[in-house]
Amino acid sequence: MAASYHAEHGTLLERFFARNRGPILVAPALAVLVIMNIFPLLWSFGLSFYRYRANRIKEPEFVWFKNYQKVLTDPVVWERFQTTAIIVTVDVLLQLVVGFLLALLFEKTFPGRRVLLMLVLTPMMLSFVAVGAFFRYYYEPTFGLLSQGIKAITGEPFILLGSEVGALAGIIFADVWMWSPFVMLLVLAGLVSVPKHLYEAAEIDRASWWRRFWTITFPYIRGLLLLAILFRTIEAFKLFDIVFLITEGGPGTSTETIAVYVYRVAFQYFKTSQSAALGYILLFVVIVLTNLYLFFVRRRDVEDQ
Amino acid sequence: MARRRREIGKAGWGRTAFSTVISFIYFFPVLWIILTAFKTHTDALSTPPKFIFTPTLENFVSVFARAYERGGAAVDTHFDLFFFNSIFIAGASVGVALVIGTIAAYGFSRWPLRGNETYLFIILTTRMLPPIIVIIPIFIMFRLSGLSGSYIGIILLYAAFNLPFTIWMMKSFFDEIPREVEDAARMDGSSEMKIFFRICLPQVKAGIAATAVFGLILTWNEFLFALLLTGRDTRTVPVAMAQTIGGDIGVRWGLLAAIETLFLIPVVFVTFLLQNQLLRGVTFGTIKR
Amino acid sequence: MADIELRNLSKHFGTLAAVDDIDLDVEAGEVVCLLGPSGCGKTTTLRMIAGLEDVTAGDIFIAGQRVNDLAPRDRDIAMVFQFYALYPSLTVADNLAFPLHAEKITKEEIDRRVHEIASLLDLSHALNRVPGRLAEGEKQRVAVGRAVIRDPQCFLFDEPLSRLDIAVRQEMRGQIKQLLNGLHKATVIVTHDQIEALTIADRIAVMRDGIIEQVASPHDIFAKPANVFVAGFIGTPQMNLIEARVVDADEDTATVNTLGQEVVLPLHAEVSLQGGGGRRDTPLTVGVRPRGLEPVSEAGPATISGRVDLIEPMGAETLIHLRIGDDDLRVVTSRGLTASVGETLHVAPAEGQVHLFDHDGMRIAS
Repeated sequence: MAASYHAEHGTLLERFFARNRGPILVAPALAVLVIMNIFPLLWSFGLSFYRYRANRIKEPEFVWFKNYQKVLTDPVVWERFQTTAIIVTVDVLLQLVVGFLLALLFEKTFPGRRVLLMLVLTPMMLSFVAVGAFFRYYYEPTFGLLSQGIKAITGEPFILLGSEVGALAGIIFADVWMWSPFVMLLVLAGLVSVPKHLYEAAEIDRASWWRRFWTITFPYIRGLLLLAILFRTIEAFKLFDIVFLITEGGPGTSTETIAVYVYRVAFQYFKTSQSAALGYILLFVVIVLTNLYLFFVRRRDVEDQ
Repeated sequence: MARRRREIGKAGWGRTAFSTVISFIYFFPVLWIILTAFKTHTDALSTPPKFIFTPTLENFVSVFARAYERGGAAVDTHFDLFFFNSIFIAGASVGVALVIGTIAAYGFSRWPLRGNETYLFIILTTRMLPPIIVIIPIFIMFRLSGLSGSYIGIILLYAAFNLPFTIWMMKSFFDEIPREVEDAARMDGSSEMKIFFRICLPQVKAGIAATAVFGLILTWNEFLFALLLTGRDTRTVPVAMAQTIGGDIGVRWGLLAAIETLFLIPVVFVTFLLQNQLLRGVTFGTIKR
Repeated sequence: MADIELRNLSKHFGTLAAVDDIDLDVEAGEVVCLLGPSGCGKTTTLRMIAGLEDVTAGDIFIAGQRVNDLAPRDRDIAMVFQFYALYPSLTVADNLAFPLHAEKITKEEIDRRVHEIASLLDLSHALNRVPGRLAEGEKQRVAVGRAVIRDPQCFLFDEPLSRLDIAVRQEMRGQIKQLLNGLHKATVIVTHDQIEALTIADRIAVMRDGIIEQVASPHDIFAKPANVFVAGFIGTPQMNLIEARVVDADEDTATVNTLGQEVVLPLHAEVSLQGGGGRRDTPLTVGVRPRGLEPVSEAGPATISGRVDLIEPMGAETLIHLRIGDDDLRVVTSRGLTASVGETLHVAPAEGQVHLFDHDGMRIAS
């Protein structure tokens, strides 16, 4: 290590600092994370083995895996997982398509590109609350833009959020609108990483658009597309704010995602320990996805060298 | 072949025109928010929707002047306080996260620990995990310690919330700067303190700015923790907005739009300035190019 | 009619004229090297021929057809890029086959051509590898192979050997020359390496600041540089170019005052100072290659004397820097010289080795 020669002299304290620079530098950050994240996580983990309700004074009772058993055999939970799976799948797929098309739009340089790009990137910078609130406004049956637009054609106002499919579509539309620019950014990064001389060579070699895309462009964006999918899957899996604000899970429970459900179990039904168990199942999924994500991030870094 | 050919990678005004149309369609929901901000309450709820209307500043006035006009009870919604809270809480927590996180990132980048990658993975996971998992214990912790509803509590929580992002971002910036200069300084007998403050930090200035801004945007927009852990006096704008909608009767869309527009302007401005760092920002520093 | 013709070709980037009104003809079967220092406009010229760069003014003809407004794909050309531009995701075989996809030929024919080119360029062993797993020399051969697999109107090479190390470069120079001889196409090669240009080219166009300074055969470029720039640019070590004033001139010799000494220079058969150029006090630039100066034991009317300033052994030869006033005179000798730093050395320009340039830097010939 480069600093070892500093460790040879100085007072005992100085030597201690010189030998443990890494740990000392990261210690404050780790301390904060342990207090605010790791400790609650462990607490949560502990809670998931007890029968406990946060709104009662009753002593927690140790019940082993009963909460997990309850949660995993609960058909409602599976229903929520299904709802989440549908939303995640359609949401991420559409984000890929829209993000990809947007990236193609902005692939080349043209006058005004930077400003227009800004317009497209704005949704990503909005707060979930704003997106949720205003899409609710747009979907509103009497004066909402959507209903008004459809009324102009059919003569009838349109209640999007009244049906299950409509409510799902409404949520997905808002999320796709908000996060497609994210995919666009990644795809654009891939597109600009293609060395220009490859396109020049392909032009001289008279390659068709299609062949050029698959042999030159696609290999450069493949890795980033995968990362986009994983990243957006993780995020969509946690989808909470938009659902909470646009449909509150309704109509009925048809758009209640697993994140919304955990929130309800914890703060409306006050089944604290059950929500902890459920939370741990979510955490497991997220850890797997994050691991996968980092695996591909590293592989990409290695390929670059 | 009469068609005019172009250099590779460049498109012309035709693309500008096409992109303008698409971009404006895409931007339309935001545009509509901005338009609504300038509408009277009646205009905001009119059917069919009004594209052309007499703009009014009354929504913005009622956001700012509220504290001074005691007369109308209906407008007394304390948004000036909430704006202050949002700015103060986001600013303070990002500041704390930046100081602690930058130092840690420097450590992870330059003085790797045994199991460095594992630490980094766990750190990223704490950012990726559904906040709902930790919120119950935190909720209980806050209640027991009396931090619930206080500035210090939410600032600490947000600092922790920003730390993983800050560490990953700053590490990616530190990783990029060459080590030769530091080694040369070490040869010249500079202290480690001096190397960090005089050599490394100046080189990641842009990175610190980018990290701060993205941290601010993320914190600024956070909803769930704020909903559960802020009190009447520490409420942030997103929570207050959500509560404005909650009361179903007579949502003042114009006011809401005005708030969001004010909320949005600084964000759009800095995003424009940071366009080149955007990819890194939105992927928590995991992807640089 | 030449296969490639450039007529009054210009390229401006903003106010900078990267290529300034040049003319050049390349005949079928002829290899022309664009040679010059970096930033002289040689690559821009090549890219304009390829169609990768727009033309600001002037015309480009390929096989008699004006191609200014044609896309690269419609110009029927093949090009070897400086960084090879191999498609990283494709194998060598697929890289070689790539240009053939645009042609209406069968898969079998493509296969046959790929194998033919691969064996010609000694790539048969590597056909299934991707470019990332090739040696630098192999990459270069794939790039060349991809260009020659088709039968285009002309070939364009952009610094084809610049990325190779010296040993491989020497070998590839020979291979490329041989290959181009067999193809009989108009070929333009951009290079900044004069050895490359001198060995491969049929003619060399020396460029500077967007202008072609001289177009001539490698021999003539070396033996009869058209001006001071070409004289100084071609040949290593660099030609000595020294200011002088005419004292007297006759048919075979010129007496000049240079470096504070009066020297009688033996004139080249083609060089003449008769007439106006030989008038007393006419300013001149005298050019003598370092190998054209021979150390002699005694000072005389035809010698220049200077103090040995630096001795650089170059293997078989020795480069000696002579200091004369503020000027530096380079002398290369193959004789085992015993001179040491600080001594005075006398050198005499050999017959046929003296170049004269006029006040404007242009070669003086008869």
